[in-house]
Amino acid sequence: MQSPAEEKSSTLKAVSQRVPLWRDVVVIKWVTQLGLLAVVVTSLWFLAGQAGDNLQARNINTGFDFLERPPDIQLSEGIDTSPATGGRALWVGMVNTLRMAVVGIVFATFLGVIVGLARLSNNWLIKRLAGLWIETLRNVPLLVQMIFYFAVLTALPRVSLESGPIHGWFHVSNKGISMPRVFISDGFYQWITVVAVGCIAAYFLKKQREKKHDLTGENTHAASWAFLTVCTFAIIGIFVHPIFSFVGEIFAALATLFENIPATLIKILISSILIFFAARWIRNFFASRRSATGHLSLIDDDIFRMVFVGTGALIAIIVVISWTGISSWILHSGRDLFQMLEAKFEVDGAARPFDAMKPDIVKPGKFANYGKNGLTMGPGFAAVFFGVVFYTSAFVAEIIRGGILAVPKGQIEAGNAVGLSRSQSLRHIVLPQAIRIILPPMGNQYLNLTKNTSLAIAVGYSDIVQVGQTVYNQTGKSLPVMAIWMLFYLTCSLTISVIVNYYNVRMKIVER
Amino acid sequence: MTDNETKSSVRGDRDLANAQDIIVCEGVSKWFGDFQALNNVSATIKEQEVVVVLGPSGSGKSTWIRCINRLEQHQEGRIMVDGVELSNDLRNIEKVRSEVGMVFQMFNLFPHLTVRDNISLAPIWVRKKPRAEAEEQASSLLERVGIPEQADKFPGQLSGGQQQRVAIARALAMEPKIMLFDEPTSALDPEMIKEVLDVMKELALSGMTMMVVTHEMGFAKEVADKIMFMEGGQIVETGTPEHFFTNPTEERTKLFLSQIL
Amino acid sequence: MNSANSTSQDQFSSDSLTDVSKNELPPKVAALSPTEWLKANLFSNTFNSILTVISTAAILLIIRGLLSFIFNPLRQWSATATNMRLLMTQAYPEHQYARIWVSLGFLLFLTGISLAFWRAGRSVQLSQVGKRLLALGAFILLATLLAPFSNKATIIWLIIGIFIVGIGFLLKPSHEDKTVSSLTLLSGAFLLAILSLWVIPYGHHSYLSTRTPKILAEPGTVAMTTKLPWTIMFVVAMCSYFLGSFIREKIDETRSKAVLSATWLISPLFLLFLVLRDPDFDTGHLLSTDIPIFLFFSIVGSVLLLWLTRPDIGEKGRVISAAILFVGFATFLFQMLMIVRILTLVLAFFALAAPTFSGQKPARIRYTKVWIASMVILCWLITAINTPSTAKVPGDFFIGGFAITLMIFFFTMVLAFPLGVLLALARTSKFPIFRIISTTFIEFIRGVPLITILIFFSVMVPLFLPDGMDLTEIAAVTIAFIIFEAAYLAENVRGGLQSVTRGQHEAAEAVGMTNAQKTFFIVLPQALRVAIPPMVGQIIATFKETGLLAIIGIFDFLYIARSVIPGQTQYMGSTRENLLFVSLVYLVICFAMSKASQRVEKRVGLGER
Ligand SMILES: Nc1ncnc2c1ncn2[C@@H]1O[C@H](COP(=O)(O)OP(=O)(O)OP(=O)(O)O)[C@@H](O)[C@H]1O
Ligand SMILES: [Mg+2]
Repeated sequence: MQSPAEEKSSTLKAVSQRVPLWRDVVVIKWVTQLGLLAVVVTSLWFLAGQAGDNLQARNINTGFDFLERPPDIQLSEGIDTSPATGGRALWVGMVNTLRMAVVGIVFATFLGVIVGLARLSNNWLIKRLAGLWIETLRNVPLLVQMIFYFAVLTALPRVSLESGPIHGWFHVSNKGISMPRVFISDGFYQWITVVAVGCIAAYFLKKQREKKHDLTGENTHAASWAFLTVCTFAIIGIFVHPIFSFVGEIFAALATLFENIPATLIKILISSILIFFAARWIRNFFASRRSATGHLSLIDDDIFRMVFVGTGALIAIIVVISWTGISSWILHSGRDLFQMLEAKFEVDGAARPFDAMKPDIVKPGKFANYGKNGLTMGPGFAAVFFGVVFYTSAFVAEIIRGGILAVPKGQIEAGNAVGLSRSQSLRHIVLPQAIRIILPPMGNQYLNLTKNTSLAIAVGYSDIVQVGQTVYNQTGKSLPVMAIWMLFYLTCSLTISVIVNYYNVRMKIVER
Repeated sequence: MTDNETKSSVRGDRDLANAQDIIVCEGVSKWFGDFQALNNVSATIKEQEVVVVLGPSGSGKSTWIRCINRLEQHQEGRIMVDGVELSNDLRNIEKVRSEVGMVFQMFNLFPHLTVRDNISLAPIWVRKKPRAEAEEQASSLLERVGIPEQADKFPGQLSGGQQQRVAIARALAMEPKIMLFDEPTSALDPEMIKEVLDVMKELALSGMTMMVVTHEMGFAKEVADKIMFMEGGQIVETGTPEHFFTNPTEERTKLFLSQIL
Repeated sequence: MNSANSTSQDQFSSDSLTDVSKNELPPKVAALSPTEWLKANLFSNTFNSILTVISTAAILLIIRGLLSFIFNPLRQWSATATNMRLLMTQAYPEHQYARIWVSLGFLLFLTGISLAFWRAGRSVQLSQVGKRLLALGAFILLATLLAPFSNKATIIWLIIGIFIVGIGFLLKPSHEDKTVSSLTLLSGAFLLAILSLWVIPYGHHSYLSTRTPKILAEPGTVAMTTKLPWTIMFVVAMCSYFLGSFIREKIDETRSKAVLSATWLISPLFLLFLVLRDPDFDTGHLLSTDIPIFLFFSIVGSVLLLWLTRPDIGEKGRVISAAILFVGFATFLFQMLMIVRILTLVLAFFALAAPTFSGQKPARIRYTKVWIASMVILCWLITAINTPSTAKVPGDFFIGGFAITLMIFFFTMVLAFPLGVLLALARTSKFPIFRIISTTFIEFIRGVPLITILIFFSVMVPLFLPDGMDLTEIAAVTIAFIIFEAAYLAENVRGGLQSVTRGQHEAAEAVGMTNAQKTFFIVLPQALRVAIPPMVGQIIATFKETGLLAIIGIFDFLYIARSVIPGQTQYMGSTRENLLFVSLVYLVICFAMSKASQRVEKRVGLGER
């Protein structure tokens, strides 16, 4: 058996020779990739160089200093309508976008679920109405809808001192919709601290009750107990929250700490964290490629991965070390955050956590207008709001319907068979299964909604895009403003997809 | 090796003793991450020989056979197919692939093409044959595997046995010197197994070099010139069917046979 | 509200929703008597009854509100009517308007032939048609009663309603076997619409934006310049359909379908840049530069490709094509005509693909023919675009309004698709650097809103271009659209690619196919089939997104409706009317597209298994 093979091995050696480079698959593979990389990098380099030349020729500078300078901007709405700096103006725009996104997501989900369930209703009329709603709204472009709502809103009657429909409570006019509002007052932060303490207490209580349940088997109502605890703390908190004003001092201390840390320390800290993670990754990687007998076999992709991680970490470290701006930005924002928190806690005992106000109408000059008391949706806000909510609700409704229909009929029948009512089997059998199908596309819709708020620019609602455009029209800093836009939206998208993925993973685990 | 002469009466006028080595494996090893799937596999297969590879599940049979036409890449040792070494050389890989046909457990026919196109696609674009010639060849191959009337159907419309026969025809259309079979009958219903095995027997009789992973012991006894038993990524025992089924030397082989027979 | 009232209710709403839910109508409603049906579907329990009553009231209120909005004498519907031409093509010169009709006629001609070839349409039961008509008539009657019409109008509408109800009654009891093609119904409807142009006094509207704008709004039927071309268009469409069904029996169908598809892809380019734009070709420049360049590339390219497609070329071919690709990129470092750079790159890609399609003589000649054909189209297109237009219009582009919406949509679809496929292939490739680049690009584009990309391109592109090169805003914006859509299409295609099993890859490799052959012949055909439904969804989304052009100040459909027309002194407050019109156009198109795609999907699905 053995001898012919041995004989062959000598001929084998004779045949085998070095592979010419242009025929070697590994060489071709990496040359192609590096070639593409080179083309991409050169084109980017070339474009950037061109942009640099053009900018210089037109005497435009691209620094971020406008963030610190006072802009000459009035914003139509937001936390600060006459911001002191460019940065502040953009911040107001971001808050407006986020506000719109959060409110829009909540309402679109709510409305979408209702429409989706209506689409499945066994009432013929309701079913058809829901169908009409879905088909109309999702087939008319969102932008057209928004502009239309805006046109309708601004064509409403002018606001006057007697505006209705329920004077003093609810006003609708060409200046928008104004209604009473409940808002966070000065004592809120102290109160929420009390509630947080309550939550911690509730957590331990719940664990303890569950343990008891496991041991004795009696029903200990763990969840109800936890809920009651939180409620108790919330109620007590309304009266005792001033005791937590000392937290402000802690924040003050933290703020001073951040003020005094040298930037070098942060640099070292970040670098060591990066090195630690890169090293750990590479170590684990080696471990996963080493066989039980200690043999290490690496293919070209493995080597590339290690080089990639290594270079990535190295570049990150170099950037962190050579660009002091990053470290000092971290320090500054830490300081600002804690200073702000400190200010929030520095209130005397009489402050309430919440307050409410009725809307009012003022007439400073010739024309009446809404005062500051009410919760006022300007026509811009209302147009964007109705636009994204209605439009997204149509898509959400279809997702809900699809998700519920995807649950096999047998499941409901099984529910009926064990004696559950229709609503019970819907809640306990269909929904848990449908949610697993519904969640990923819902995340997608939330992402779309967030991005769609950017159409606000068409109706003059001060979101990040609109404010940004105003800022760069005024300062000529189009490049930095666009960089900020992109960064902002990428962060939003990333956050939403991380949250949705988290829930997806959790759902999958539940499945097992 | 001497036992082969007894088989040659059944298998026609082949002279295996003087045949050329067509597949030579030498110290082949392969890892998936930290798991070693092939451990120093060495074997030689001669022209026109029919080799059956046996072994428990997960023993590396598929991995080995797939290394031979480079669907998997071995990491150590050498594989020579018809005088061409499998290395990173593009030209060699192309040559080996076009000389080695492969039949899969799950058929892997192209569902978007008709049976005829399934068979003639590779001859047209890889062998660069004129279309008319390739389609003629497809027809005669379908004749050979016994389903000439199915040429214009789509794979989804055929039974499993018919699909596997189309897959064999597709591999044969490239006019390979060697055919690899990876459990060609294990996805089939019992009544379909026979029709596929018949085609394989006919192929063996016609003098094709074949390497077959299968659990069909009857086929192994009847057709194989040589049986290799694998376990844990190693070839544990090699021998003729008579030797293998009557008095295997290794304990592990005995255990395997006692379980399977 | 008593039950008798609800009977009429359910009829009218059945109509308002018929088109919405054609496919989902319960199969056998007729088996139930009306009262049984009502009980089962509207009043099955207390909750349902309450819902029914409330929604009936709501529907009545909404219809009434809508009708009194639409028929309010204050509404300026003439704003839309007089500005129709502006809305459709912006300021395209009136004396050259025949070009528009020629283009439209050609597209309708293609549509007719394609409908015939792909055997579009399905058979509809006459009794179903009767039911629909009955519901429609009932709805018209109800709406007439709710609307604030004058007596005369009320009577006219009542007569129309009763007429339709009558036809419905006639058709309803027809036998189940009696069917009619949906295409016949559709063309009947169009015929009625066209006839009405000649008969009904819609009024004669036009708006001439001279120094002192001239508005024309006379009673009578519509202008001859409107009704005559539309009648011709209708005749063209009908004739081409019959022509198509006549010749489809006579010729090889697969092949002519391929030719038709190619015509669909290419003809819009010709219509746009040859018919509509009417380039003023300069013979001297043509003879001295354009034609020599074309000849050079087609001859040298043909020789090269003939050689490269030899079956025995081996890796020599790869090395040479890589060299050409390198040269193609290197041309950007030197001063030369853009067309030369582009053609060199195209040649390099043809050369790279050559081994995939190599073979015997017929295959090689076919490949070379494809090369020459693409040279003809490319050279001609580039030359045409670089030649000044004879259509003198204000602004920097020769067309606007709905036409530009369609044009950008077309370019986006045609160019984003291949780019998307490439991105998807790169994202699923075995090459890690390809994966990294493609993933970064796709996720970046998908992470930011389209409007920021559009603004970026319309503002920043001039900054990134080298001296002497310029790109019109329209081109820049189209590129932005293409990039954006490609990222989304890539994700759809990726879904399809992932659905192709590993076994398919292995089988293709085992028969000796190269990676390119495997991708082209095995993987992509399967992947794209899976990706069709999501891609159609994406295409509809793209069409809706074309409205964003208005934000960056391009004179598209929406911009004209929202800003230009209300800017005319006569039509100050007409925004809502115009926007309703725009919404209706988008609604009809998007709805038709999604319904058509659902039907195509079903058909593809049926053919599959
Ligand atoms: N792509 C892969 N990645 C990781 N491990 C793999 C891969 N392919 C195979 N293996 C492992 O390699 C071992 C050998 O697999 P192989 O498919 O060769 O077994 P086999 O002998 O063909 O078994 P069976 O009779 O079940 O087909 C198995 O333990 C398998 O888990
Ligand atoms: Mg196997």
